[in-house]
Amino acid sequence: MNRELVKDIVLSLVIILSQLMIFNHLYLFGTVNTFIYISLFILYKTTYDKTYLILFGFLVGLIIDLSLQTYGTHTLASITVCYLRERIEKYSFGVNSVLPLAMIRGTRITNRLTYFYLIIFLHLLIYFSLTFFKFEFILTIFLYTLINSIVNFIIIWIVSKLIFDK
Amino acid sequence: MQSIINSIIKNRNLIIYIFLSFISFNYLYNNSSVHYSGLGKVGTFISGSTSNIFAYINSYFSLRQENNKLIAENLELKKIESQFINKSDTRDISESEIDKTISAKVILNSINKSKNIIVINKGKLSGITSEMGVISSKVVVGIIKNLTDNYSSIVSLLNTDLKINAVLKNSSTIGSISWNGLDPRIVQLNDIPLSSSIKVGDTIETGGMSFYFPKGIPIGIIEDYNNTSLEGYYSIDVSIFIDFSSLSNLYVIERTDNDEIKSLLNE
Repeated sequence: MNRELVKDIVLSLVIILSQLMIFNHLYLFGTVNTFIYISLFILYKTTYDKTYLILFGFLVGLIIDLSLQTYGTHTLASITVCYLRERIEKYSFGVNSVLPLAMIRGTRITNRLTYFYLIIFLHLLIYFSLTFFKFEFILTIFLYTLINSIVNFIIIWIVSKLIFDK
Repeated sequence: MQSIINSIIKNRNLIIYIFLSFISFNYLYNNSSVHYSGLGKVGTFISGSTSNIFAYINSYFSLRQENNKLIAENLELKKIESQFINKSDTRDISESEIDKTISAKVILNSINKSKNIIVINKGKLSGITSEMGVISSKVVVGIIKNLTDNYSSIVSLLNTDLKINAVLKNSSTIGSISWNGLDPRIVQLNDIPLSSSIKVGDTIETGGMSFYFPKGIPIGIIEDYNNTSLEGYYSIDVSIFIDFSSLSNLYVIERTDNDEIKSLLNE
């Protein structure tokens, strides 16, 4: 097991634990949930296997669901985002998406912003759709998704900067 | 086999995703009452829709069977109807009695000649004899002319040679129906004296005074009439109840009293 992989596992554990212990209990402005664990799916290295990402998403989602008693909504949102990440990468980075490690550094900021926001937005859209699960709440779902995605995007952007600037 | 394995390996992400989604949905379905009822509704909708589609396709393929069943049922109903008419008609019991009803399918039909003939898929072997009447559900079609073992030809109502005894339903005035060979939707009612009162829309039915048809089988309604004839009779156009170009199932009927009347006439 190489050093980089150990470092990534430790980092993942830290993020999951901080989600469970801090961010699960944090409600900004009374309605905004902070789901910092989405950053794990964003920052998962392109050199690692895509199949493991889906399994990883399932595991992380399940842990969050068990802790929040949300019965699979986080799991479904996580595995969907993990499954679609490759396409989102291609959409956001274009040709650069095939270059390993080219994602975060050395790419244009607009590409990175699109990539981050798309994953967060998609994850939250699925999460809130499953939470409300009624067609008459469609406007509420979009409103919640929009507000939550903006706030979560800012938090995750800051966290990723902290991690990578180190 | 190798290609199947290759295809599974190639699509492993999708397979894993579907599998894990299924587990997650199952988890959601079993633990949350909101999702339980929501997914239950979706399940009911899907199963209802697919069953509907399947039933629709299935019904299309069994149309022929259904059709035969309906014809048989129709035949039974006709027998019951004739029995009922016999019981209720106290004026002349034998007049409306139908002895035999044989269903048949049209295999040849024409409406664009002056002497139109219809051919059906039943003949001598089915018990059909010459000069039996032919009706379509409730309307007069024609009379059996020639027969082979399995086929019969019918002189259609749209044949200038045919004359059928008819009666005005309202006034019981007797006349005869024939066709002038022009419009296949219109036949002519003759021999109605100018002294009778008629109006457009009056129903014309068989009079029962022939060997072919019992009394009361509908033919059509009066569409137009002319009372300027010097011969003392109306010239009446009758619109036929059915479209002769779309005939498919016919019933060959025979009156029970035919033999008796014929033997009486021969004496």
